[in-house]
Amino acid sequence: MAPLLDISAVAKRFGAVTALSDGALRVEAGEIHALLGANGSGKSTLCKIIAGTVARDSGRVHLDGAEVALSDPRSAERLGIGLFYQELSLVPQLTVADNIFLGDERTGRGGFLSGRRKREDAATLLARVAAVAGPGLTPDALVGRLSADQRQLVEILKVLSRRHRLIIFDEATAALDRRQVEVFFEILRKLRADGVSIIFISHRMDEIFAIADRITVLRNGATAATFVTSETNRTEVVHAMVGETAIRERVEHAKPASAGKPLVTLKNATSRRLHDVTLTLGEGEILGLGGLQGQGQSTLLQGLFGALPFARGTIEIDGAPHAIRSPATAIRHGFAYVSGDRGRDAALHGRSIFENLAPAAIVRERRFVFWPRQLRPRFEAAVKALNTRYASLEAPIGSLSGGNQQKVFIARWLATGSRVLLLDDPAKGIDLAAKADFFALIRGLAAEGVGIIFYASEDAELLSLCDRILVFNSGRISAELSGPTLTSFHLTHAAYGEAA
Amino acid sequence: MNPALRFLSRRVWLVTLAALIVLVIVNWILQPNLMTPNVIKSNLTVFLPVALAAIGQTYVILAGDIDLSVGTTAALVNVVTVTVITALGADLDAVLVGMAAGVGVGIACGLFNGVLVALLRFQAIVTTFATGILFGALALLVMPTAGGSVPAIYWRSYSGALLGIPVIYWIYAAALLVVALIAARPFIKHVAAVGGHRAAAFQTGLRTARVRIGAYVLCGLFSAFAALCLTGETASGDPLLGRTLALSSILAVVVGGTALAGGKGSAFGSVLGALVIGMIGNVVFFAKPPFEYQTLIQGLITLAALAGGVFIARRQDSRGRGLA
Amino acid sequence: MSRTRAVLSNPLVLAALSVLALLGIGEILSPGFAQGNQVTRLLTVSALLGIVAAGQCLVVIGGREGIDLSVGAMISLGAVLAGNVMSGANGAIVPAFLVASGATFLIGIVNGLGVTLLRIPPLVMTLGMMGVVQGGLTVITRGIPSGNAAPALSSFVNQPFLLGLPGILYVWALVALVMWFLLRRTELGFAIYAIGSNERAAILAGLPVRLVRILLYGLSGFFAGITGVLVIGYTGNSFVSVGDQYVLPSVIAVVIGGVSLAGGTGNYFGAMLGAIALTLLTSVLTTLELEFWGRQLIFGSVLLLLMLLYGRSRQLRV
Repeated sequence: MAPLLDISAVAKRFGAVTALSDGALRVEAGEIHALLGANGSGKSTLCKIIAGTVARDSGRVHLDGAEVALSDPRSAERLGIGLFYQELSLVPQLTVADNIFLGDERTGRGGFLSGRRKREDAATLLARVAAVAGPGLTPDALVGRLSADQRQLVEILKVLSRRHRLIIFDEATAALDRRQVEVFFEILRKLRADGVSIIFISHRMDEIFAIADRITVLRNGATAATFVTSETNRTEVVHAMVGETAIRERVEHAKPASAGKPLVTLKNATSRRLHDVTLTLGEGEILGLGGLQGQGQSTLLQGLFGALPFARGTIEIDGAPHAIRSPATAIRHGFAYVSGDRGRDAALHGRSIFENLAPAAIVRERRFVFWPRQLRPRFEAAVKALNTRYASLEAPIGSLSGGNQQKVFIARWLATGSRVLLLDDPAKGIDLAAKADFFALIRGLAAEGVGIIFYASEDAELLSLCDRILVFNSGRISAELSGPTLTSFHLTHAAYGEAA
Repeated sequence: MNPALRFLSRRVWLVTLAALIVLVIVNWILQPNLMTPNVIKSNLTVFLPVALAAIGQTYVILAGDIDLSVGTTAALVNVVTVTVITALGADLDAVLVGMAAGVGVGIACGLFNGVLVALLRFQAIVTTFATGILFGALALLVMPTAGGSVPAIYWRSYSGALLGIPVIYWIYAAALLVVALIAARPFIKHVAAVGGHRAAAFQTGLRTARVRIGAYVLCGLFSAFAALCLTGETASGDPLLGRTLALSSILAVVVGGTALAGGKGSAFGSVLGALVIGMIGNVVFFAKPPFEYQTLIQGLITLAALAGGVFIARRQDSRGRGLA
Repeated sequence: MSRTRAVLSNPLVLAALSVLALLGIGEILSPGFAQGNQVTRLLTVSALLGIVAAGQCLVVIGGREGIDLSVGAMISLGAVLAGNVMSGANGAIVPAFLVASGATFLIGIVNGLGVTLLRIPPLVMTLGMMGVVQGGLTVITRGIPSGNAAPALSSFVNQPFLLGLPGILYVWALVALVMWFLLRRTELGFAIYAIGSNERAAILAGLPVRLVRILLYGLSGFFAGITGVLVIGYTGNSFVSVGDQYVLPSVIAVVIGGVSLAGGTGNYFGAMLGAIALTLLTSVLTTLELEFWGRQLIFGSVLLLLMLLYGRSRQLRV
């Protein structure tokens, strides 16, 4: 008998980046199948292809033995495929029950809404998580008022309400506590018993070993191996994720960890996605933030920069405590923030390169009136120091390639002599040559005494650059790697919440 | 937030209702004959067009858009209706055909707006501002100066009574029934979802463009109803009719507790909002401030109501917003 | 080839070409249209529109659906205040300027506060403010025309002042210079483009986003007030609705000049060309004896066409 889902040789490119080169996956009916891979291995892309939100470039997808197109979310939905979105598909202004049945409303005679059926069905669904729902999770509660874990439960119930044949749970447990996860697993087992197939993605290895029947590992956009959970162990799985050749890529060791005197000390920082984070950044140190995506690394950097101020915690700069509650304050303390999401966070679209360079200097030096003639030599020097290729400073920012744009956004800060550089996955979507320039620059800055906190979604970038790596899992630091433990094996292990 | 406030912030229309009751009492003190059938009827006749336009505007705003063309849509409907009735000989059949033509024009205007905004992705505000100018120009083309008249059967029925109850009350009842019917359809949930969080609505598989166009069509339809009522009141054609209808309908929607950002609110609240705005005008009139202060006071109260409405409607989903 | 196309798709070039084209059409339709005196008169009318458009231009560049529909009422207010302060006395021209522009600046600040702190959409806020200002005007004037221009102001606006050109053109040139300096050489101008282009990036760059947006609306009020004073100089006396005719054209002039309604791009020189083009268009349409509806139809269509060219919302993909 054919498997429920059979995928082979699926490929997808986004511009110059190959997200998936040879994806393969077979999921049987009534199976819980875990999908594992380091950051950038292509597991999210594969899930989106199955759910129809991303169209594949090539490859075959068979459902029940028949080839399917999966061109958009609606067609996947019609075939009985459901995808759990992390918070993305809930409408905060609607109630829990309305969200659960959105697009699939409970109606009575004549197609009119039936409040009674809606409440009954919602109550039935909610009863399945009642023991761990926490206060206020009722059918009539507004989703905007729920806590993160409650929203995640609602999202789970929303997927369950559709009676799919195949459900993809992409990090569905991220915000849940241990008891809630247990209840969720009960639900999954029940679904499995009913013949529903499940693709399960999690950043916690113990969850995967607790629930999955089989495990498929992706590496660099291709399927590397498939294991039967009961016949394998964690080391074997991690080795499959890392690959035999990539045991240690680090070429040079700049200096021992924590060489310089402390520049920034953060104590007990807590916010919505961050719990009790304490760290020290030394002068000239490159401190890496590792772990799977979305474990609080960005939140930490934006907190330090005042863009998402911490709810609690203290920041000391050169040993003296300071409150940083806005980017302007952080900038005047010499902080700089470079985001990988250039289009959203940095680019002044439609403006010239000069104007894209200017804001930091204008803000930090409080220039109310400025003459481009005075600023231009400094900007040119900063841009040239990064080997940026550009026609003239008056050319629009959009005329540059992604890598050169990113150099401009870094030069923006260099021209003002920033002391602390917060890098939030800065090399995302940049080609290899530009990346090399970029990393050389980071090393050069560190050698001049600039303190750098570096988050990268690609482990190789972290390993090749950092003196020390703090690994994040669910908003906490789960491990600190330095010296001999700076290997991809240890990093992958720690990212999945394992003691290395 | 304390429980009482939370209760209210989910039922902003209760605040509107309370305001309405206070205004009625104040008005009653200032104008002792307020509660006589004739005065009530004449007040409600004046408020009716705004209430109808506000119902239509609610769906557009709920979907996260806005329609500034309702005023000139109403003008266009009015002149088309009057012209058609006159051309067809001013008997009952002509009146019915004329009204149907007007409704058709209203729907067409809404459809035009919806296609530009939802399918071609034009900015809602400036687009409906521009289409508003176009509809106004078309109204002037159809009827260059105010004039023409509708047959007596039209305005007599409008101001008359059916089964002993004034016709305009029947219209209110019918409008509220339509509001209730729409509120009982899945469509209203889709409108709220599209206005509340468009990306989420799309991920859930809703056809967002279709929903937004639907909201604009409803708005055009209700603008047409408002125009037909205005026609019953003025009994003539006027290409400049309904100039203030766009602003007052938006105002009624906001005062009725619908968030301008979309996703939250009800057409029922907007009807209350329209009544509140009408009553504010009444109270200012009967409080007899020096006559030259009347527009100023009304303008200030309007602005304050606007600010208050926006402020209350937003309090509830203010959490969890980082930047911008 | 592609270079020619790039030059032709530049809004500034398009606006300049349409100015020349309209002049040509006008000259063909009614010989003398493009002659010296006639052009001076057209420029005088354009200057009034152009100075209001300066404020409108700032507000639109500032983004977040920025628009100021209260400029008409503020022009009327400026005219009425100036007329009453001057009441025909030449000595009171400077105080008249100060009172008119100061009052409208403050009203603009209130607009800005509503837009930033209460987050009322600019269109709704400024429409509401329009009602309030009109109410205020009724209080001041009791509904009858009041105040009149000082003779010196009238001749400054209408008669040749220097080199055969009326003084209002020199005011417009000064406004252009101020706008250039503000937008290209000051932190405020820099921040205006930044918040209009990408507000999140502007916040992350540490710019005082709220303050800037509040000031924008204040400046829009200021320019409307100045225009009001010049309008009373132009017409001689003032009445409550004298400014209404400028609201719509000020928005269209800005858009013709290539200031994107999405914010963050464009400059004042474009808006100036837009004001001239629009004045010419109106004049040509009048020459054609086209009725009001025809003009409105053309205005509305031009606006929609411009939206199609540069006004599509950028961020929406769903």
